[in-house]
Amino acid sequence: MRRKRLVTILIVVTAVLMLGGFAAAQAIYIPVISKGFQHQFWQAVRLGAEKAARDYKVVITFEGPENESMVDKQLDMLQTDLAKNPSAICFAALDSKAAIPLLQEAKKRKIPIIGFDSGVDSDIPVTTAATDNVAAAALAADKMAQLIGGSGKVGVIIHDQTSRTGIDRGTGFLGQMKKKYPNIQIIGPQYGGGDQLKSTDLAKAMIQANPDIKGFFGGNEGSIIGVLNAVKELNLVGKVVVIGYDSGKQQLDAIRSGAEAGAITQDPIGIGYKAVEAAVKAIRGQPVPKNIDTGFHWFDKTNIDDPAIAAVLYN
Amino acid sequence: MADPLVVMEGIEKSFPGVHALGNCRYDLNPGEVHALVGENGAGKSTLMKILAGVYQRDSGRIIYKGREVNIPNPRAAQHLGISIIHQELNLMPHLTAGQNIFIGREPRQAVKLFLDEKRMNELARELFDNLHMDLDPRTKIRDLAVAKQQMVEIAKALSFNAEVLIMDEPTAALNTTEIEELFRIIRQLRDRGVGVAYISHRLEELKQISDRITVMRDGKYVDTRRTSEVEIGEIISMMVGRTLYETARNLKDTSGHEVVLSVAHLQQGRTIKDVSFEARAGEILGFAGLMGAGRTEVARAVFGADPVQSGEITVQGRRVNIRKPSDAVRHGIGYLSEDRKRYGLALGMDVEANIVMATMTRFLGLLGIIRRAETRSTAQKFVSLLSIKTPGLGQITKFLSGGNQQKVVVGKWLVRDCNILFFDEPTRGIDVGAKSEIYKLLNDLAEQGKAIVMISSELPEILRMSHRIVVMCEGRITGELTAAEATQEKIMRLATQRESVVKTERIAAAGKGA
Amino acid sequence: MGDMAHAPQQRRRFLNSNATQRLLAFASLIGLIVFYSLASPNFFKFENMVAILIATAVTGILAVAVTFIIITAGIDLSIGTLMTFCAVIAGVFITMWHGPVIVGVLAAILMGGLVGLISGTFVSRLKIPPFIATLGMMYVAKGLSLIISGLKPVYFNDTPSFALIAMGSVTGAIIPGFNIPNAVIIFFAVALLSAFLLNRTILGRYTFAMGSNEEAVRLSGVNVDRWKTIVYMVGGLICGVAGVVIAARLNSAQPSLGQGYELDAIAAAVIGGTSLSGGEGTILGTVIGAFVMSVLVNGLRILSVPQEWQTVMTGVIVIFAVYADILRRKRA
Repeated sequence: MRRKRLVTILIVVTAVLMLGGFAAAQAIYIPVISKGFQHQFWQAVRLGAEKAARDYKVVITFEGPENESMVDKQLDMLQTDLAKNPSAICFAALDSKAAIPLLQEAKKRKIPIIGFDSGVDSDIPVTTAATDNVAAAALAADKMAQLIGGSGKVGVIIHDQTSRTGIDRGTGFLGQMKKKYPNIQIIGPQYGGGDQLKSTDLAKAMIQANPDIKGFFGGNEGSIIGVLNAVKELNLVGKVVVIGYDSGKQQLDAIRSGAEAGAITQDPIGIGYKAVEAAVKAIRGQPVPKNIDTGFHWFDKTNIDDPAIAAVLYN
Repeated sequence: MADPLVVMEGIEKSFPGVHALGNCRYDLNPGEVHALVGENGAGKSTLMKILAGVYQRDSGRIIYKGREVNIPNPRAAQHLGISIIHQELNLMPHLTAGQNIFIGREPRQAVKLFLDEKRMNELARELFDNLHMDLDPRTKIRDLAVAKQQMVEIAKALSFNAEVLIMDEPTAALNTTEIEELFRIIRQLRDRGVGVAYISHRLEELKQISDRITVMRDGKYVDTRRTSEVEIGEIISMMVGRTLYETARNLKDTSGHEVVLSVAHLQQGRTIKDVSFEARAGEILGFAGLMGAGRTEVARAVFGADPVQSGEITVQGRRVNIRKPSDAVRHGIGYLSEDRKRYGLALGMDVEANIVMATMTRFLGLLGIIRRAETRSTAQKFVSLLSIKTPGLGQITKFLSGGNQQKVVVGKWLVRDCNILFFDEPTRGIDVGAKSEIYKLLNDLAEQGKAIVMISSELPEILRMSHRIVVMCEGRITGELTAAEATQEKIMRLATQRESVVKTERIAAAGKGA
Repeated sequence: MGDMAHAPQQRRRFLNSNATQRLLAFASLIGLIVFYSLASPNFFKFENMVAILIATAVTGILAVAVTFIIITAGIDLSIGTLMTFCAVIAGVFITMWHGPVIVGVLAAILMGGLVGLISGTFVSRLKIPPFIATLGMMYVAKGLSLIISGLKPVYFNDTPSFALIAMGSVTGAIIPGFNIPNAVIIFFAVALLSAFLLNRTILGRYTFAMGSNEEAVRLSGVNVDRWKTIVYMVGGLICGVAGVVIAARLNSAQPSLGQGYELDAIAAAVIGGTSLSGGEGTILGTVIGAFVMSVLVNGLRILSVPQEWQTVMTGVIVIFAVYADILRRKRA
């Protein structure tokens, strides 16, 4: 008896949840598979994607693994979505090489793949909607040099050295420094996995080893919050120039309070929007460029509340 | 007389801080049951565990079949033919009877990694048949009653071709029928020449089953006597080292006392069938019956620990609704479980904490801080009132003797102002000396006007203590006796009066009783 | 006593059997499949079934490993990161040292066994509680994976045959079109072998016995420490297999992956009726439990239920499963 009741409850709950799913049955369906889910950044991408879905009257789902190390869970999502006969797939690969067999299957079935964010490291995607991270990180380097007066030590903490964004931001920042500011000595880069705590520990260790450090660059939200924590815990707020990446409430507060000099923001909403937009175009057979730059901006205390900037920032 | 099977001489054993055995001796002949008695802590179990290889002796000699031997571990003992059945059964509940018997020496296939389950069950069945036990070796232990589990232990012990079988308190959890069955098997073993070392608290049993009795006290050997030549009273005085005051006391007529608890038509499935009774202030109401008669179930139901289908409970003339133990406590009902360690005490905490455990909120000061001075004085008061023997209030209850643990639990309920106290087997596992203290305590509590409901499986205890006796059988109350009219025989007859048995066919209860 | 007492005992025996829990898990699995099949035409398709199978394979293998350990009333939290560590070891042998694939595979599995042996020794001989010993081992394995791999994934691009271990299809070669990935075949093979170990061998007997009443086993003269160590070692070996499978599936050893997988595996075992207090459990139950979890999530995904709700439902299922187990015990 009781068991029957359990099953009934289960069915009812599931049925309620899937009402949205039935509506999806007829329309153009585009699954968006990101690299993460809970992270503010991905939720902003989701907002953009959902906006595009409304504008172009398509149905999307937005999914991503719980953390950015779960490569196989992302593949499970991709595989399940392939079973749903989608019209196109937007995909930000955690590990491009691991995803190749499934992407080839999609190609065989003529399902266009749209890369976004770090994209997919292969020629299968029709296009990739992404920030030009190399250029964006170079801009951060310029700002850093300007703020510390062109010489001294700068610590660099990047989230990882395997993802496209990690590689591009690292080489963008380091390359620009090497090319244009030979008097600036780079400490690191160190890799903190985008984890706040780990990045805090890394930054503290770097400061201990280099008490004369003048600035810090963090390659994503988690990394820079780690740096900010370290600076705060060691009572160096205002004495070290901190430049970050992306937004998020903690970072925005730090910029407003002056603890952080400024940051590069990508346009996550734009990434989501343009990825879905490109998918729609690809489905309709319209031409799409090989790379779509979704843009980036420098922002600091002075322009943080400009409508144009505020629109791409997220809490 | 045949050569002795086992002779233990001059056995010494110390544990850190305790001199457990001093110059102890024990011997066992083939084909006899040699009982070992003594108060708790007298060293009986320790001595037998040395024989079984569980402990190592510090000095002394063990001669087995004429040869001096060393028994470094249980396995070595088993190889010699010495098996022990521990007080707490050592079985694996999730495994079958057969699997339990052959654990550690399972019959294997040609490839040694693989088990030969079929052969194992055949062997187990042979063992059971040999002992005339009605048991399927494929039954899981947890599906067996305790008595049957014990049979499995015995079969296991014998499967080692044991010539010496040590049994530590084998009857503690058995009812009369089951004890009879156990004794049948023990006699059967004895007749085959097995030597049985039998540890028990229940002196009455020894008269039935043992050939000789060795008494121990405080880790020392006292004396060995032939059972046929010794009186129980004599054994008891050897155990306690003094003559025990054991005359029946003068029981007052309490029929005029105020009824403080009245239970009517309590009903719960098969376990409680239309149970009604009354308890009066200042009296001890004995609940007699065999194991599983439903006495504990009734107590737990009245206390709100288990749900009931129907029934009315009236406390001091007011109809009350008891759904959970806290309701019962609010109405002044306390329940002292038979399993003190599991339900009655926080064993790892000290005496003081345990005594005020149920009344903590009364001692809370500002911000919920416990007012230690008050808890201390309260605890002190009850320690002296109940004469709890403890080195101090800070003593961890785990290290108290069974009797004193029981008193701590009583203290806990008294602090709560409970006027109605259910004692479930209050003297189980408590040695003879401490028993009389518990009896005195129960009497004192009754004198003070508390209503005591005492559940006990020991008829002498029931007869000695109760003003009135209620007898249960299979969930029903089969009779009520006053102290004056009660005898062992009458109680036993009521306790075995099954519903299904037609009156004319009433089977005369085994005259021996418990 | 006679008939009256006998009848309820028989009934109890029936309800008590492990089979009931397995039946319950199996019934919910079938229920889920039927429900999803009715709800979406995309669910009951060969393609999606393969997706489910492969999504279950790795968690399933880990769940089998942890089933052994839970039955002894222990727990192993290191299985997830140990799997990763073994995957990295395969990468070291195959990609870094250019060894033959078979050597890399064996090295990975043996490393799993070795780490299991160490955990087992901590638990059995040093008497460190399993929760703590394996928690420590979880971090050790994770750290070592990162160190050895140099924090980067190790790819198996030079040895295309390695990926075939998981993603090739033996069945496809025999029956064209019936492309069940080898990862799934390996999962079933591991499960079968484990079921056999548990039910027919001395190892299995002691696994249950230790979980049921360890002291009794010890007093029966069984070398409990040694057997317990062996059980953890067997768990480790199976984790090694899982490591090979996931590495082959991803064509790379991902050093930062693995944490969190142990919880999925434990949940699968519990849904399948393995008791965390030891002495009870079956491999079949665990396999079913693993499928209940993956089918549930897959179906919700097919129905486009938002991801956050998928997570909630997984939690609900775990709680339901354990509650059902409690109900069963209460009735017994």
